[in-house]
Amino acid sequence: MIRLRQLAPWALLLVFTCCQNASPGLWDAGLEKKADLLMRVEHEEPRCFAEGMRDLTCFWDEADGGTPHLYRFTYTYENEESNECVVESQQREGSETRYFCKLLKVQLFGLLDIRVYRGETLLYNRNLLINLVFLLDPPANLTVTRTGKPGQLKLSWLPPPLKYMENSMMYEVSCTTAGSRMEKVVQGNTEFTLRSLRPGTEYAIQVRVKPDGLTYDGYWSDWTLPISMRTLPDDADPLILSFSVIISFILVLLSLTIFLSYRRFLIKKMWPLIPSPENKFPGLFTVYGGNFQEWLGHSSGGLWQRPGFFYLEELPVMLEVLSEATMSPPVQIQPGDSRAPGLLKETTQENEDEMLPKADSGMEKKWDPDLQENWLMDQFQVLQQSSTPPSQSSLLESKDAYVTLSQNFDQHPGEGKLEDISEESLPLHVLFGTTETSTSHPDLGSLPQSSGSSQLSSQSSFEYPHNTWPSKSLTYACLTMADSGISTDYSSISSSRTGMECIYTNDYKNQMPKERQPLATPPTHTGCWVQEQHNSSPT
Amino acid sequence: ILKTTYIFILLFIWTRLGLPSPLRPICDPRVLDRFIKEARDTEFAMRSCSEGCSLAEPLSVPLTSVDFAIWEKGDVSEQAQEVQSGLWLLAQAISAVRVSITSTALHSLLDNSHSNIHSIGQVIRSLNFPEYTPPADGTVHEDTWRVSSTLELFRVHTNFLRGKVRLLLSHAPACRRDST
Repeated sequence: MIRLRQLAPWALLLVFTCCQNASPGLWDAGLEKKADLLMRVEHEEPRCFAEGMRDLTCFWDEADGGTPHLYRFTYTYENEESNECVVESQQREGSETRYFCKLLKVQLFGLLDIRVYRGETLLYNRNLLINLVFLLDPPANLTVTRTGKPGQLKLSWLPPPLKYMENSMMYEVSCTTAGSRMEKVVQGNTEFTLRSLRPGTEYAIQVRVKPDGLTYDGYWSDWTLPISMRTLPDDADPLILSFSVIISFILVLLSLTIFLSYRRFLIKKMWPLIPSPENKFPGLFTVYGGNFQEWLGHSSGGLWQRPGFFYLEELPVMLEVLSEATMSPPVQIQPGDSRAPGLLKETTQENEDEMLPKADSGMEKKWDPDLQENWLMDQFQVLQQSSTPPSQSSLLESKDAYVTLSQNFDQHPGEGKLEDISEESLPLHVLFGTTETSTSHPDLGSLPQSSGSSQLSSQSSFEYPHNTWPSKSLTYACLTMADSGISTDYSSISSSRTGMECIYTNDYKNQMPKERQPLATPPTHTGCWVQEQHNSSPT
Repeated sequence: ILKTTYIFILLFIWTRLGLPSPLRPICDPRVLDRFIKEARDTEFAMRSCSEGCSLAEPLSVPLTSVDFAIWEKGDVSEQAQEVQSGLWLLAQAISAVRVSITSTALHSLLDNSHSNIHSIGQVIRSLNFPEYTPPADGTVHEDTWRVSSTLELFRVHTNFLRGKVRLLLSHAPACRRDST
């Protein structure tokens, strides 16, 4: 009985070997491929792999000329008895023979003890867990599609058709283009979208599979057959380019039309007209090239005649002294005193016009500011003490010294009204009549002098009432007023003037010099000159 | 009054827990995958175990091998019983090993494994399998064998989870009913 039991598996083995020898198709090309793959990865002999849940294939190579009957392949599950597998062989190139054994009923999750004997010697001994040596077929039905965006490809494939292992797979995707290869591992999913590919290039896509290693493990499968797909070209870019070109062209056109229509306005804004006095000075720039002197010379001295012209047009004005000034002891004015011009003297009924130029020329050259000061003070004092001039005695004797400028000189000069008269048009005539000390604030009233700049009218102090002057034998002396309450600023311009008037300017201070002293503190003086003296000459 | 209400609430919760109330089925495979991962790590750690890793007394452990052809035809409830008894055996073995091993690092791993086994028991219970009552005498007859080293023990532990437990949980009727 024991023999029968022992013989039975041997008989079965014989049958198996015969049958297997008859059917050499057990080792097919697929197995060959996997075996070659495994040769690179696994180095423990015998190399074994499981293709599915129900098989195990082990093989080893020997160069002994193909004698499978020499070998014995035994395997033992945990806590079970050993089994034996029939060894088969496959002739390879050269003298190499590949011996293999395929188990058709397997148990997973339990340790398997494999032994290979050649004759009586143990050739190999290996313990393994079958669930950890999977070598699967490549994924099937790999499809590659374009997503519609440049540089993207969408992949999908089928998982290995193994029950109980659906969620335990991991895949690797490889995309190859000219010169470069990229591989990416995908966990679990059977579809994947490749991004960041170069647009407009051809890619070859391949996928392979392997168990994820937790419950089941194994080796990477073979790659699928490559599928080529060309990514979408950057078609958006040409569109964008053309659009931007068109829009910029339109914008340029618009800006051009706007510019042309508002050209004048824009030019005005950008390069504004700078007003030039050219039209007032005919020929100054065009003929004389800006040389003012020449232009003056050629324009018939019109400029200088102008003030006179102006003055001639303007109405002469009488200036009445309205306010008093404190005086030092008066100085007698001697009639006929020829010390200085501008004294209050009898006038002849001469034409003031004649006097004017004389006076002008006379004074203009010899006017000395310091001298003027002293002289003025002198005059002032003299005037105070002077005897009453004829026909103006009323004025002169008036206690109050007012300075007014009245346009209507027909009025009685002694009225002593302070009239507002425009500065620019009035000469400055001062009529004195003070015999007493006055307050220190004589009002100069309406002195017509402004800042004394190049205003022509400021020179009008010398405006003489010509023919309309009252023919009374009245001489009007210009004398400075001391501090006027007027805040007109008399700068020391008079000295720079052409000398027509002898307005001597000082700072205004509300002080009258008490004595006949050089005026250290600048009291307010204005000299205004009108003198009728034909024979006067400035000192 | 606060105290009484507090006690009442505690009692209420405890009774609710004690009752075999239908737990929500745990069907996520990632739950067991995490246990398998940790079991594998423990098995690797046991390879470097130097002291106290050979057992004085062989321990009973379940069989781990699975023949799919047979398993598919088997009865689910029997399989559940088989799994639960195997888990109980493993828990016993791990407790026995913990006493003899001195390394504290391994202690933490052992405790983790032990708690994992209990968690798997909870998962099985959540799938409405009939509960397993361990035999009073402490011995299990069917499908056991003995190991003599901790390395073997934890290899068994890992593969038991990978195989039978996983198959049971992934094809539990409670989970399949939810999915369909």
